[in-house]
Amino acid sequence: MKTTQAGQKKKAGRWRDSPLPWLLPLGIILTFVFLYPVFEIVRFSFTNASLMDTDYEYTIGSFLRLVQLPGFYQMLTVTGIFVFASVFFQLFFGFLIALIIDRGQQLKMRGTVAVRTAVLTAWAIPGVIIGIIWRIMYNETESGIFNHFVSLFGMDTMPFLSDPQMALFAVTLANIWRGTAFSMILLYAGIQTLPKDVMEAAKIDGASAFQRLTKVMLPMLAPIILINLIIISIDTFNTFDMVMALTGGGPGQSTEVIALSIYTSIFREFNLGHGAATAVVLLIINVGMTLVYLKILGKREER
Amino acid sequence: MLSRKQRFLTKTGLYFCYFVILAFFLFPLLWVISLSLKTREELFATPPTIIPETFAFENYARVIEQSGVLNYIQNSFVIVTATVIVTLLTAIPAAYAISRFKFKGKSPLLVIILMTQMISAVVISIPLYRLFAQLDLINNYVVLIIVYVAVVLPFSTWFLKGYFDTIPYAMDEAAIVDGCSKFQILTKILIPTSVPGIVSVTILVAVQSWSQFVIPYILLDDDRLYPVSVGVMNLQSTQESVSTHLLAAGSVISVLPVIILFILLQRFIVGALTSGAVKG
Repeated sequence: MKTTQAGQKKKAGRWRDSPLPWLLPLGIILTFVFLYPVFEIVRFSFTNASLMDTDYEYTIGSFLRLVQLPGFYQMLTVTGIFVFASVFFQLFFGFLIALIIDRGQQLKMRGTVAVRTAVLTAWAIPGVIIGIIWRIMYNETESGIFNHFVSLFGMDTMPFLSDPQMALFAVTLANIWRGTAFSMILLYAGIQTLPKDVMEAAKIDGASAFQRLTKVMLPMLAPIILINLIIISIDTFNTFDMVMALTGGGPGQSTEVIALSIYTSIFREFNLGHGAATAVVLLIINVGMTLVYLKILGKREER
Repeated sequence: MLSRKQRFLTKTGLYFCYFVILAFFLFPLLWVISLSLKTREELFATPPTIIPETFAFENYARVIEQSGVLNYIQNSFVIVTATVIVTLLTAIPAAYAISRFKFKGKSPLLVIILMTQMISAVVISIPLYRLFAQLDLINNYVVLIIVYVAVVLPFSTWFLKGYFDTIPYAMDEAAIVDGCSKFQILTKILIPTSVPGIVSVTILVAVQSWSQFVIPYILLDDDRLYPVSVGVMNLQSTQESVSTHLLAAGSVISVLPVIILFILLQRFIVGALTSGAVKG
C-alpha cells in the first residue's frame, strides 16, 4: 500500500516536473501550422500537382522548368533590387532618425514624442492600406499629388505605376516609408543602451562628432545593426500585402516580388508544383538568413 | 557644455529635421484624409487642391452604407481579440517552461521557434488552403484564428521567455518553500510581476494581427467574414477611379482604430518595441 502510494506520488511528481504539458499547446499549434505546411510545400515542389486536380506525379520537372524560365530570373532580380534598396534605406534613415530623436531628447526639445509617434504610425498601418494610399498618391493624371509636385519643377506627368522601372522605384519608396519605423525604434533602443561615459570620454579626447559616430558608436552598435539588418531583410523578402495593393505585381511582372510570384503561380495559374518550387526558394532564403541571425545572436551572448 | 549659440544652432537644425521627418511620414495620411473629404468633381481638379473646398463628410456615410466597412472592422475586432487571448494562453505556459525548467532539447526548441517566425505566411497558407478546402474548413474562424495565433506565437514566446528570465529565481524558491505548486508559481509570482511584459505582447500581437492580410485573403472567401485588410482590398478592386474619395474614406475608417490605440498607448508601444528589440 505504502509503496504504491509512493510510486504514484513519484509518477505524479515526474509529470509535474516535466515541461511537456506546458509546451504542448505551443507544440501542437506550431506543428499544425508550420511543420506540416513546410513538409507539404517541399513535397509539392517535387510534383506536377495543380490546385484543381487531386492527381499528381512525383517529378523534379517544376524545378527544372523554374530555372529555365526567363521570368524566374527577372523575378529574382526584381526581388533583389526591392530588398536591397528597401533594406539599405530603411536602415540608413532609421539610424538617422534615431540619432535625431535621441539628440532632441537629450536637449529636451518639444515635439520629440510627436515625431517618434508619426514615424511609428507608418509601421502600425496595415500593409494593404499603405498600398492603397500610395497608389492614390501615384495617380498618373495631373490631379495626382506626386505628379502635381513634379509639375512644380516644370516636368511632365510621370507614369509612376505604368512604367516598369518607375513602378519598381515607386513600390520600393513606399516600402521604405513603411519599414523605416522598425529600424528606427530598434536602433533608438540600441543607442539608449550605449554607456554614456564612453561617449563622454571620446568627446573629452577631442574626437569630432563624426569620429565619435564612426569610431565609437557604430562599432558598439554593430551587433544590433546586424540583427536589425537580418530581421528587415527577411521581412522584406516576405513582403506581399503592400505590393499586392499597390501594383499587383505589374505592369507585366516588373514588381512581382517572390512572395507575390508564389501566390500568382498557385492561385491565378493553379500551378501548384511551380508555385511550391518557388516557395521552396523563398523557404531556403528564410532559413538561411535565420541561421546567420542565430550565429550573430550566439556571438552576442558569448560576449 | 555647448555654448548658447551652438545650442541654438543645433536646436534649429534639429527642428528643421523634425519638420522634414513629420512631413514625409504624415503627408500620405493627411492626403488621404483630404481626399476622403472631397466631392467627386474636386477629385479631378488640376492642380489638385490640398485642402478640400467643401468638407464632404457625406462620403463617410456613403462608404459605411455601401461597403460594409463597419462589418469588416467588427470582424477584425473578433479575430484580433480571440488571437490575443489564445496567444497568451499558449505563449505564457510555454515561456514559463522554457525559462524555468531544465530539459533536454531546449536550445533546438528555441531555434525551431525562431525559424517558424521567419517563414513567410504565403508559404504556409498554401498547404493549409488545400487541407482546409478538403476538410471544408475554408471560412472557418476557429482554424483561421489558430493560424493567426501560430504567426505571432514564436515571437510572443521569445519575448515572454526573455521577460521571465529577468525575474530572479529566488522568488520561485521562496514560493516553493511556502508550498506553492509549479502552477501557483506561475499564476501568483511570474504573471503578476510580468504585467508590463504581457501588456507589451498584447499590444504587439494586436497591431500585427490587425494588419494580417495573406492568411485571411487565402483562407476566407466569404465577403461577410473578411477582416478590414481584405475588405478594403476588395473595396479597392470594386471601386472605379471616379470614387477614389470613397476608397479614401474607407481607408481612413479602417486605420482609425489602430491610430487611436496607437496615440493613446504610444508610450507603452515604444517600451514594448524597445524591450523586445534589446532582447533580440
